[in-house]
Amino acid sequence: MSTDGRARPLRAVPADGDAARRPGARPSPHRDADELADLLVRAGRGDTAAFELLYNRLAGSVHGLAVRIVRDPQIAEDVAQEALVEVWRQAARFRPEQGSARSWVLTIAHRRAVDRVRTEQAHSNRLVAHGARHSASVEDQDTVVDTMHAEWQAARVRQGLEVLTPLQREALELTYYKGYTNRQLAESLGIPLGTAKARIRDAVIRLRDAWEVTA
Amino acid sequence: MSDNVHGLLGAYAVDAVTPAERAEFEAHLPACEECSLELGSLLETTAVLADAESTAPPAALRARVFEEIGRTAQLPPADGPAADAAPAPEPVAAAVVPIERARRRHLWPRLAVAAASVAVLAVAGVIGGGLVADRNAQLALEQDVMMVASAPDAHSMDLGLGSAHLVVSEKMASVVAMGDDCPSPDDGMEYQLWVVMADGSKHAGPTFMPDSDGSFVTMLDMEMNGVVAFAVTEEPHGGSAQPTSEEIAVVEL
Repeated sequence: MSTDGRARPLRAVPADGDAARRPGARPSPHRDADELADLLVRAGRGDTAAFELLYNRLAGSVHGLAVRIVRDPQIAEDVAQEALVEVWRQAARFRPEQGSARSWVLTIAHRRAVDRVRTEQAHSNRLVAHGARHSASVEDQDTVVDTMHAEWQAARVRQGLEVLTPLQREALELTYYKGYTNRQLAESLGIPLGTAKARIRDAVIRLRDAWEVTA
Repeated sequence: MSDNVHGLLGAYAVDAVTPAERAEFEAHLPACEECSLELGSLLETTAVLADAESTAPPAALRARVFEEIGRTAQLPPADGPAADAAPAPEPVAAAVVPIERARRRHLWPRLAVAAASVAVLAVAGVIGGGLVADRNAQLALEQDVMMVASAPDAHSMDLGLGSAHLVVSEKMASVVAMGDDCPSPDDGMEYQLWVVMADGSKHAGPTFMPDSDGSFVTMLDMEMNGVVAFAVTEEPHGGSAQPTSEEIAVVEL
């Protein structure tokens, strides 16, 4: 659709980690949240232009999350597509008073990715591409999509993960990023189910408190 | 697993739940303002994790998505009030809750935030009684209790409610309280376990009710750092944020 995006230059990428410490690099969370909520509400009324603006802001996270979780670039693209279409389909169900548009969209995306991983596991033909984060070759990348938010958030996440205990990090890695259920986590670590649930919860709460995230 | 449904909060926030658990938790959510509030902040937190992964998607994805939405009908808005996302009640108001919900109510969501030193998750249930309708929940609790009780570092201490005792395992980061001849609390009251810290502060643990035979089991997952004792009081149904009556049992570590 937006082939004009290709004409745009790639944005300069700040040096690793610096983004978090430079006050000017921090996006204004409130304005960002209000704008996204407005776009999502409008998309819910069938406004495809609003949906495209929303796409520009969130498709990078939706896609990146899918890549991180399912690994295989082709499957990740399918998952991202399904998730974004699901966002369109359900947009009228979004309730701004119950949470941010960003978390609403990314919750849908995460669920899709995890569901896919579990299905792939069931088929036992999961493709593994360890380590390297997928990136499309530069000329295929959609440069209209905003990934600026990511640099600040990635630095924030790196710092946040350091406040977790190794056990909490492990729990988060196996559940959030690898799609284990709480029971699978308990079984694979040989810990009581209650402990597994508590560990997951404590990990997310500790991150929330470290980042001072509010609902 | 209705008595343990609060315990799914964290797992739900990271999608570490089965479809059945997801359905169970979502059915629970509208009735529980604590879980609703807590969930909101947890989902905002996981959104940060997701944003950190952001990568420029292939340009082809945009075309695929817009082609697909062109032939995808949108759902109409959901009916019903959005009153479930009501503002937070003050913690002190927590002792007064409708009886129907009181049973399942534990105070841990707010507690764990308040007390960095004790991260406490209460997994309360009553084995053999009518309170735990779901056999699976019983089995899960029994299994967890067995694992704690059989931990190499588990040690048992008299609790002072009949022959009830506490089993503590630092390795499992769990405390189990169980008994089989526990007297009933006063009408309208149930027992509540408290975690006593070195500085004298007390943190709310699960509530529990013995069945007609006096049997009960309750379990607490927590780090033991700084814990000096456990105490039991009688509290109104649903438990309290701080003890409101004399301790009827104290176990010092």
